[in-house]
Amino acid sequence: MKRLSLLVLGFLLVLPAQLALASTTEGGEEEFNPEHDFEIGEWIPIHLGPLDLSINKAVAYLLLGTAVTIGLGLLLMRVKVGDKNDPKRRQAVGEMVYEIAQTQVAEQGLPHKAIGRWFPYVATLMLFIWVLNIISFIPLPLSNETFELFGVELPTLALYAATSSISVTLALAFMTFVFTHIEGVRHNGPVKYFKSWIPDVPKAMYPLIVPLEILGQFMRLVSLSIRLYANMLAGHMLILTFIGLIFVLGNLFIAPLVIGAATAFYLFEVVIVVSIQAFIFAALSAIYIGSAIEPEH
Amino acid sequence: MFNLLAQEAASNVDAGKAIALALGIGLGSLGAGIGIGNIFGSMIQAVARQPELRGELQGIQWLGFALTEAVVFYGLIGGLLAFVLV
Repeated sequence: MKRLSLLVLGFLLVLPAQLALASTTEGGEEEFNPEHDFEIGEWIPIHLGPLDLSINKAVAYLLLGTAVTIGLGLLLMRVKVGDKNDPKRRQAVGEMVYEIAQTQVAEQGLPHKAIGRWFPYVATLMLFIWVLNIISFIPLPLSNETFELFGVELPTLALYAATSSISVTLALAFMTFVFTHIEGVRHNGPVKYFKSWIPDVPKAMYPLIVPLEILGQFMRLVSLSIRLYANMLAGHMLILTFIGLIFVLGNLFIAPLVIGAATAFYLFEVVIVVSIQAFIFAALSAIYIGSAIEPEH
Repeated sequence: MFNLLAQEAASNVDAGKAIALALGIGLGSLGAGIGIGNIFGSMIQAVARQPELRGELQGIQWLGFALTEAVVFYGLIGGLLAFVLV
């Protein structure tokens, strides 16, 4: 059983590459370049003045991720299981997710009085990022390239993560950034809150320390977004690079080797990285918001 | 990046860029490797001494792991930026 599922997984990994091969040998005009896989394209152009609100690959993945997250929440936590009070497996999974969000994320970072208000935010963040990450490892027919099957133009199956676009992660991190300072000012008042940024040092050190602390607040924004973005980008690039080696070197005999390596990285990403990154993003958001609400702790 | 492998080094500049990128990421992952080893080693020690604290420590462990691991990716992003911009 296990071997079979591994086989299926390997097949799923190879499939997009094979289709890519088919399309390039037919056309034969462009050479293999993995950077093309991270171009988001422009499917439905929407331009409002200087704003570019086009539906592109990342937006399509975000919409899909939103739908899946809502569906998952309803399925695991809302839909009644039977009419008796017997917890089924589905409910058990829902409770496990809820418990991780509560004990590991919210209670670690948020002070007691703020959990009621901010638990929904951090739990949603965790679930949403997890779904975005996990659907990025399922080959979906959402890509810029097409291939012909029985005379019908179909989009190629491809792996792409919305979170491997820095705009997406920066927007998520920016939400946390804004909420942090709003909550800090709301709970402590502006004067006390901004004073709490300055650590206990002699007054002579202030010209040195204060700019650093202000810079540090913005570095949180950068580090929060880059951590998620680069993790997903690197994961996808690794898999793509290994499979791409077949085409770059033009040698089919290294296929077993690189497909094995790609499968190993795929499993590592799906089992560990996806969940850890979702957890970390939510936990750090909770810690930042919590430390703004009660700066002295 | 891949054209390098495919068509051999087109020019010395490209070869230098490739070496710089690989060295940057390699050295970055060296530091993160030490850090991650440290975290898991400490976690094993802590659990061996006080097994009942495992649940509480696990959250901190993964937090530390991700914070350390991110260092590699700062190197990667810096390297890619330098690679594309130069």
